[in-house]
Amino acid sequence: MDKMSPVERFHAVLMGEKPDRVPVNPFILGFSANIIGMPLGDFYADGNKCFEAQFMCMRLYGYEATPMYGYASCGPWEFGGKIGFPYGEGHSAPYVIEHPVMEIGDIDKLEVPDSNKPVGGFVEAQKVSDRCVEMGMPAIIQGGSVFTAAAVVADTSKFLRWIKTEPKSAHALLDKVSQMYINQIEYFANKYGPEKCVVFDGGPVEANTVISPQKFEEFAFPYMMKVHKKIRELDIPVTLMHPCADQNLNIPYYIKMRESFNWKGIYAWIFGPETPLKTQIEKFGSHDIIGGNVDPPSIQTKSYQEVVQLCKENIEQGMDNPRGFILCPGCEFPPLAEPIKPMAFIDAARQFGVYK
Amino acid sequence: MVSKEEILEGLAKAVIDGDEVKSEELAKKSLELGIDPYEALMNGCNKGMAKVSDLYECKEMFVPEILLSADAMYAAIDILKPHLKVDASAKKPAKVIIGVAQGDIHDIGKNLVKMMLEVAGFILVDVGKDVPVDTFVKKAEEEDADLVTISALMTTSMLYMEPVIKQLKGKNHKAKVIVGGAPINSDFAKKIGADGYGKDAVEAVKVAKNLIGA
Repeated sequence: MDKMSPVERFHAVLMGEKPDRVPVNPFILGFSANIIGMPLGDFYADGNKCFEAQFMCMRLYGYEATPMYGYASCGPWEFGGKIGFPYGEGHSAPYVIEHPVMEIGDIDKLEVPDSNKPVGGFVEAQKVSDRCVEMGMPAIIQGGSVFTAAAVVADTSKFLRWIKTEPKSAHALLDKVSQMYINQIEYFANKYGPEKCVVFDGGPVEANTVISPQKFEEFAFPYMMKVHKKIRELDIPVTLMHPCADQNLNIPYYIKMRESFNWKGIYAWIFGPETPLKTQIEKFGSHDIIGGNVDPPSIQTKSYQEVVQLCKENIEQGMDNPRGFILCPGCEFPPLAEPIKPMAFIDAARQFGVYK
Repeated sequence: MVSKEEILEGLAKAVIDGDEVKSEELAKKSLELGIDPYEALMNGCNKGMAKVSDLYECKEMFVPEILLSADAMYAAIDILKPHLKVDASAKKPAKVIIGVAQGDIHDIGKNLVKMMLEVAGFILVDVGKDVPVDTFVKKAEEEDADLVTISALMTTSMLYMEPVIKQLKGKNHKAKVIVGGAPINSDFAKKIGADGYGKDAVEAVKVAKNLIGA
């Protein structure tokens, strides 16, 4: 039986204390819309609806999370491009219709959005944050990844070529994108107070199925550093890091980033299923919270019992991480998974994740 | 005087290095020297691309480098292709329908598979991204395809692979289906009745060759 409320449990982990059991953050976004019968497009087009769906879903299942607004193709909308909302069959998140940068010359003309107000998706994120802060929860702001955002602000396959053929221009674009994120983070920190903010940083384009660790060092790392330097200057207490997909070869740079800030701030890592929990604990566990990485497609395709087993394995590997552990999937919870699947996470945490 | 071997090696190297200017220059040079364009293609460009595949497989080359290699290869192909002799007695190459599943707009992986299949000698019909189930089936019928390859990057779009397979099987179409993409694994491929699964572009080519007995 649970001895703590979800808020108490999550707070205990953040503070470096032992909770009654492993907390569960199932990284639920689109799933919540599906479960309450809301069109997925509405969830992303309207921050209020986004909050309501996530808040209802949290109450339904009783997991430890805070509603947030974010998606992998963040960037184009903020820079004046056009995105589509996921109303179509098979859609899972907003997608790019018009990239603001199609040719190399567009980079010079690209203007960093106004720093005094939220832009694009941050307008909707602000609606979510307003509701969260009103209810005593933190405001979660998407703060990256800069590399992934740049790769969708520009036509992706062109951007990937430019990091080889036009490195100066690629850097110019990355610099502008990082400044956009910094401006938005500062706006949210000023509005709500940095102590009430959490930054979420993550993206898939820097995965090692796409770029080499050398290219990560050259093009992703400096701008990640720039944004996180600002996060530290603002003294925002908590950062959620989601190196999406296979980023095993990039791990040394994530460590370097944390070392350069003397491991200050509370960082929680949600790597993809490709990164063993053992590795994560070895590299970050003394200082940082480790989130689990249950394989998202398996959550959708396997049975309740099989998902419980996957969660059990995750819990057994992660729960004794020195700085704490939260059971999570390795990426967003599949929007179309069966309604019973979040229960598999919670049931597993109750059965196998109790701290003595 | 540049030798034939130097031209072919130079073409392979230009493809590996992603040097479009060089590959164009050498393709033109090969025609000037009377080198059989088919030989320039197979022993120059394709040899280079085969090396690129190997380097990708062992994580020594990544997507940006491969995109540039593909640009270099296609630049040479554009020059050589009009000069290829048509051999009416040659075995007809297998035809492949390729596309990204419904609801999904992520096509970089699909484009890599397409390019590597083309290099391996397949004829590709690219139906694009966010492709409705019916379009895959209709195109397979129209083109009398030997293979249909579908990629998906999202857990929502991967669900649109099975209906393609079911419809093709329901019509007793000869086309074999290969699936791939980040959320896909061999268990899922088996579960939905796919004939093959490629974990990456290199493996997709091996699976395609096996399925058509090449």
